[in-house]
Amino acid sequence: MTSTWISPTGDEGIYQIDTGKWRTFRPVINRDRCTNCKLCGYYCPVSSIKLSNQQQVHIDLSYCKGCAICATECPRGAIDMVREGEE
Amino acid sequence: MPVVKALTGNESAAHGAALARPDLIAAYPITPQSSVVENLAQMLADGKLSCEMVEVESEHSAMSVIQGAALAGARTFTATSAQGLALMYEPYFRMSTLRLPMVMAVAGREMTSPETIWGGQQDTVSLREAGWIQFYVEDNQEILDTVIQGYKVAEHQGVLLPVNVCYDGFFLSHLTEGVEIPDQEQVDSFLPQYRPQHVILDPQRPMAVDPMTPGNLLMKYRRNHLEAMQTALRVIDEIDADFYRVFGRRYGGTIEEYRLEGADAVLVTIGSMTGAAREVVDLLRDQGKKVGLVKVRVLRPFPLKRIVRALRSAKAIGVVDRSVSFGWNSGALFQEVLAALGSQGMVMPAVSFIGGLGGADISNDHMLKALTTVLEVSANQAAEQETVWLD
Amino acid sequence: MNLQEVFYGAEDLISPGLSACPGCAGELTMRTVMKIMGKNTILGVPPGCMAGAGVVGWNRLSGAKVPITIPLLDNTASMLAGIRRYYQSQGRNDVRVVAFAGDGATADAGFQALSGAAERGENIIYICYDNEGYMNTGFQRSGTSSKGSNTSTTPVGAMRKGKAQHKKDLPLLLAMHNAAYVATVSPAYVQDFVRKIEKAKEVTCGLAYIHVLSPCPTGWWFDPKDTIKLARLAVQTNFFPLYEYEDGRFYQTVSVKQAKPVQEFVSRLGKFKHLDQEAIADLQQWTDRRANLLQRLCAESPA
Repeated sequence: MTSTWISPTGDEGIYQIDTGKWRTFRPVINRDRCTNCKLCGYYCPVSSIKLSNQQQVHIDLSYCKGCAICATECPRGAIDMVREGEE
Repeated sequence: MPVVKALTGNESAAHGAALARPDLIAAYPITPQSSVVENLAQMLADGKLSCEMVEVESEHSAMSVIQGAALAGARTFTATSAQGLALMYEPYFRMSTLRLPMVMAVAGREMTSPETIWGGQQDTVSLREAGWIQFYVEDNQEILDTVIQGYKVAEHQGVLLPVNVCYDGFFLSHLTEGVEIPDQEQVDSFLPQYRPQHVILDPQRPMAVDPMTPGNLLMKYRRNHLEAMQTALRVIDEIDADFYRVFGRRYGGTIEEYRLEGADAVLVTIGSMTGAAREVVDLLRDQGKKVGLVKVRVLRPFPLKRIVRALRSAKAIGVVDRSVSFGWNSGALFQEVLAALGSQGMVMPAVSFIGGLGGADISNDHMLKALTTVLEVSANQAAEQETVWLD
Repeated sequence: MNLQEVFYGAEDLISPGLSACPGCAGELTMRTVMKIMGKNTILGVPPGCMAGAGVVGWNRLSGAKVPITIPLLDNTASMLAGIRRYYQSQGRNDVRVVAFAGDGATADAGFQALSGAAERGENIIYICYDNEGYMNTGFQRSGTSSKGSNTSTTPVGAMRKGKAQHKKDLPLLLAMHNAAYVATVSPAYVQDFVRKIEKAKEVTCGLAYIHVLSPCPTGWWFDPKDTIKLARLAVQTNFFPLYEYEDGRFYQTVSVKQAKPVQEFVSRLGKFKHLDQEAIADLQQWTDRRANLLQRLCAESPA
């Protein structure tokens, strides 16, 4: 920690907003259609699309804002936007 | 060995800066400051100085380049005047509130309009609430010495603030005097390398500088800044004394008292006009008049206690300003001194003198008129006084 | 780095939770740029959407995992030049100094500082995310807003029909400064994007300038899901050609064989909803003229 209250600094951790709570729709990967081409991750503004240990794309919903870019850009239409609270 | 050379005020500032071994200099030309940077550029070209020199496209960028470098840990220097300082205002205010030590020489100049390029203190006095420490010096030796002192004050761990060394444009910037240039080794021993601990932009120690800050936290920073300013009052006096031990010269720290023993009428001055005031005090003392002088060397932080102590026995005072306070029909320093006295319950007749604006001279005759007026007021103790223009 | 390394391998150096609007191209660009730049980077983000979204942090917290600061709106290039100069003087050339600034901080208030830094050849990497206006303060007009844009300071009414002037062309201006490297990039053209950021990263002498057209769902009035679609369409209509400038030469990096009419791009944006055929023709003419100019500039350069 820097000497508190001298220079205005931010060094006590990472500021993060719980943007996952913003969503009204969440992206869900349809595994039947997904070819694991990984294009979706190139366009996610929040870097929420990640690779599993098996090198499979999956969506970490912690900060996903539900913008639906992934669903729009998926060449196979393999991502569905599902209303929050619904299966 | 220290050498004595004939130097202009601007050359003195340049030598002071070079001796402080800055890491980076950024500046933009403006009359009457330009030759400060020209001199430093020549030293660099001649291999007598080793640092980064950024020939920016404006004073705004000069202060901005410096701010970036200072955040990375550099010791920095710049110089400017009047409109250049005004253009800097945005990063200038931020330099102090980011708590970044540095020294900036200001060859003081009147503010336009009317269009002018000549000396005055309106430029820096108008910025006395921007959080900087402001020295106002009297002669060229004091310019050089105060630049060096300034770094030591600025980088003091209890201070951590930027410093202005203000000297009257043309009257000092272009005046040639004999100036002793100290040894580099002496300066090095007096002024160790600067290593910022409180803030840094360095991938080895990642932090955000200036995250969004709500008012309750912002007030803590302001309070700390104000406290650092008060600490600086003590530090400036101490460093002036340390400087004396190494270099054999001292300036009284925040104020200098001159022939105050039993003085009924005391003149308060700031900057190069002090020389004329000294002569007039000597003249009147020779005539047996009880007069004295207080030179305000540091306007920010305001040396309240020392001023009050110095003036406490006076029967009347006069304050000579080389700038105006538009809202007060008087000079700015005048109001500062009154506020200091009033805060300690001291009431005495006081006269505001304004002179030397826009390059006008403040002559011995002006100072004689001022001190004679104060003497008269001290004799008849008239309470209300009109501002006197030394024109 | 290959695309998988960038988007799936590299560490996200920005806080995962920023309050940028859903579908923000600026947020995507900033994260991607920093994945490529890596940890040994100092980031300057002046007032604008990304600073407003919290990347410089709040209270005593930081919004990034690298050293970061918020320059003034108008001094980003000079402030960062100071940082870089100091690191160079200390022999720490490996520390990269990156600006991520909006169009207002770049084209308008900050242009003098940027122009000076480019002319002096300051070795900083300056990235402008151009969302065509002061979006963070409520969608006011900027020097890079396209003609006809309905902004909060050039609103549409009975007498006036949005911004009256065409867009200021920043990348060309920076090329005319003879900056070491200039490129336009689009988040829709990922390969091109990554290659150019990597190139900017390797510039060791002079200023690298990257201009990204950053579709803004909130300020341009379109569905956030279409951000990338629109970024792609801007390129396909020649509204935003992708090229680079190096050593005095221009290179088109994504060639558009049969450009689509600008109308296809414009008609999808709420901010252009009011445009009549004449206004659209005007935008088309402006687009054609610049595409032409770029074509001639590129023709002067070897393939």
